[in-house]
Amino acid sequence: MSLVDKSDLFLSVIEMHKGIVYKVANSYCKDTENIKDLVQEIILQLWKSFDNYNEQFKYSTWIYRIALNVAISYYRKEKRRKEISNPYSEGLFKLADFQESRDIEGNTLFLQQFIADLKELDKAIMLLYLEEKSHKEISEIMGITETNVATKIGRIKTILKQKFSQVTT
Amino acid sequence: MEETNFVLLWKEQYEKIDQSLAINKQLLKEVISQKAESALQSLIRFKARGIVVAVIYLILLGVVLFYAIAHYSSALNYFIISMAVIFLINVKALYDYIKHLVWINNINYDGSITEIQQKLAKLQLSIMQHSRVMVLQFPFWTTLFLSDEWFPYSVGWGYIIFQLLLTASFTYLAYWLYKNQTLENADKKWVKIFIEGSGGKSVMKALKFYKELETFQQVG
Repeated sequence: MSLVDKSDLFLSVIEMHKGIVYKVANSYCKDTENIKDLVQEIILQLWKSFDNYNEQFKYSTWIYRIALNVAISYYRKEKRRKEISNPYSEGLFKLADFQESRDIEGNTLFLQQFIADLKELDKAIMLLYLEEKSHKEISEIMGITETNVATKIGRIKTILKQKFSQVTT
Repeated sequence: MEETNFVLLWKEQYEKIDQSLAINKQLLKEVISQKAESALQSLIRFKARGIVVAVIYLILLGVVLFYAIAHYSSALNYFIISMAVIFLINVKALYDYIKHLVWINNINYDGSITEIQQKLAKLQLSIMQHSRVMVLQFPFWTTLFLSDEWFPYSVGWGYIIFQLLLTASFTYLAYWLYKNQTLENADKKWVKIFIEGSGGKSVMKALKFYKELETFQQVG
């Protein structure tokens, strides 16, 4: 495959799954600037791994794996990150009504806050659950057994329910 | 709150965003065309200061060693051997450090989360294990200034005993630190102080995360 064909295919894959990249970045970063940087780092890693894409997995599984791995590693490289000056002032993703879309309130805001408070690995598992991935797919992405997936989801949901009941009473 | 509501809330939150999200294709092409940056280049960018200081230190040691060899006399035997060992240990430590950073930089993220994160944390931790080779140079700093001409008649027995005790205690200290500065001992207070003192906070973070991963993989 020529480089042009490869980048065209890559572009169409990203176009089809852009929501995954954005949601992962949005769940692991709080401010817009960091989201922009993380999106760029995820895209770069996806491109670097594109040659080795294993067709045994769906594109979405492949993207979730890389995006979550990059996001989890992202904050652990905080010092290094501060030293990188992003040469691009624009973001890779544009939101037509960005401010409006982030202007969320009520239970949606609580859910976002509670998810942000979760540990990195629990956050990953919850994100996949909220995206309605099957336990099998979650176990493939996370590298743990399906039983473990079910146990962890159950626990995290209990914690979230408790937190919701605290803020709503 | 009903179980399904979490999923509904999530969908609500991202429904609008999904519709209005667009890719800046021009920028994306620019970003991927720059991926050719080698691991070594990016390494030099991020860790430049530390590596430059280490290289300058090695050059200084090398110059001193070269000067001593160029002006060789038997009086310099202890100095040359000690300095050569110190130099080689520092070269080995820097080489290992760069090698590990290149590995970390080149890791392929296309694996399950627990597998890749464990690999990353392990690599960070192995930097610590390799850096402990540095302690092996301790005894050689006590033999640098000795001279062939002193022994056996120019110095008294008192000094010889003092020198033997000094070198032996530094040898034992180096051996003890080398043997005990391991991941298994990382929970011990003195290891923590030693690691943090040598700028290894990220190593401690990696260790904490590694343990978190181990717990995460356990069911129940």
